[in-house]
Amino acid sequence: MTDLEQALRALDIQPPTDLVRTTLIETGAADQITTIDSPFGPLWIAWSPRGVTAVTPRFACESVGDFLDEHRRNAYVIDHLPRHLEERIDKALASGMTSDVPVDLRGLSDFQRAVLAACSRIEAGTVRSYGWIAEQLENPGSVRAVGTALGRNPIPLVVPCHRVVRSDGAIGNYAFGPEMKRELLIREGAILM
Amino acid sequence: MDTMTLPDQAEMRRSILDDLDGGFTLMVMTYQPGIYSGALRLTRHHDDAQEIAQDTFLRAYRALETYDDDQVATLAFRPWLWTIALNLCRNRVRRSRGTSPLPSEETISVLDEDPFDEEGWNDRFAKLTVTQRTAVVLRHVVDLPIIEIAEITGRPTGTVKADISRGLDRLRTIINGEDHR
Repeated sequence: MTDLEQALRALDIQPPTDLVRTTLIETGAADQITTIDSPFGPLWIAWSPRGVTAVTPRFACESVGDFLDEHRRNAYVIDHLPRHLEERIDKALASGMTSDVPVDLRGLSDFQRAVLAACSRIEAGTVRSYGWIAEQLENPGSVRAVGTALGRNPIPLVVPCHRVVRSDGAIGNYAFGPEMKRELLIREGAILM
Repeated sequence: MDTMTLPDQAEMRRSILDDLDGGFTLMVMTYQPGIYSGALRLTRHHDDAQEIAQDTFLRAYRALETYDDDQVATLAFRPWLWTIALNLCRNRVRRSRGTSPLPSEETISVLDEDPFDEEGWNDRFAKLTVTQRTAVVLRHVVDLPIIEIAEITGRPTGTVKADISRGLDRLRTIINGEDHR
């Protein structure tokens, strides 16, 4: 290698250290996560430029490592939500009307997304059965699969899977326990059996 | 990432097919430094180089989201990324022609010392033709093989070799002229 060629190779300098992080966040290949206070206690929340990707109560994941293990996506921790998201989420969690919150459900199957979309149409203060969701999908035989999809809802509270109960009126399962489900529904004014 | 542990094409392809976000992260870590370095020499601006290094991967990610497995399986990642980056460089240079390079806030302290003789190299590269500058930067700064430069620039390998050779000759003449000043 000549001196000139060596001098040219020396011009191959490293980019600023935060360029990889910024690129992954901007593309949506990595999320950002933070904790927020809510009427239901502190929550972990993850989001991409497209919308919220995960919500979990702090009591279910005590450390950021627990949340990242659960979330299974590359993510960077920051200390606050962006303002546009913060306003929408605060309003949604206070009112139970969550349709203004953008969500990012990439990575889920078409069926899972359809289940969550149907679930999002259930208004605060009302409940529907797993069978109702299956009917909305014009697939009445899929009740069990609907239950599985709701059990894996990555953004509970934003997609209000707590408003889905058993057809006999029993409260049914909830990822964070039936007690929390009951509290959420009572808070929204739903009439429970 | 250490250059000794760079993943090969097959590994990256498997990774992208298996998990787009994970594979894409590997792709950014592997190729973004070279694209930043090359874009810096071609645009002469740190801020432009940073934006181009970022926009290249934004476009690549959007494309990969729409590609099926067969398209990913036949993709040669580095020349593909560099084709995107070079277009962005050309657009940027066209838009900002005549402006002098401005340091970004982050790089002011580095430029104060100017250990890489940035200003000197910017002046020297500016005296090459666009094709010579592109070929020399891709070959000798970024360290791409000639066959990839030919693919990226759409020029035959013989022409790329001639561009590099003439570019190096011109740089030697410029540097000799500086030494005799």
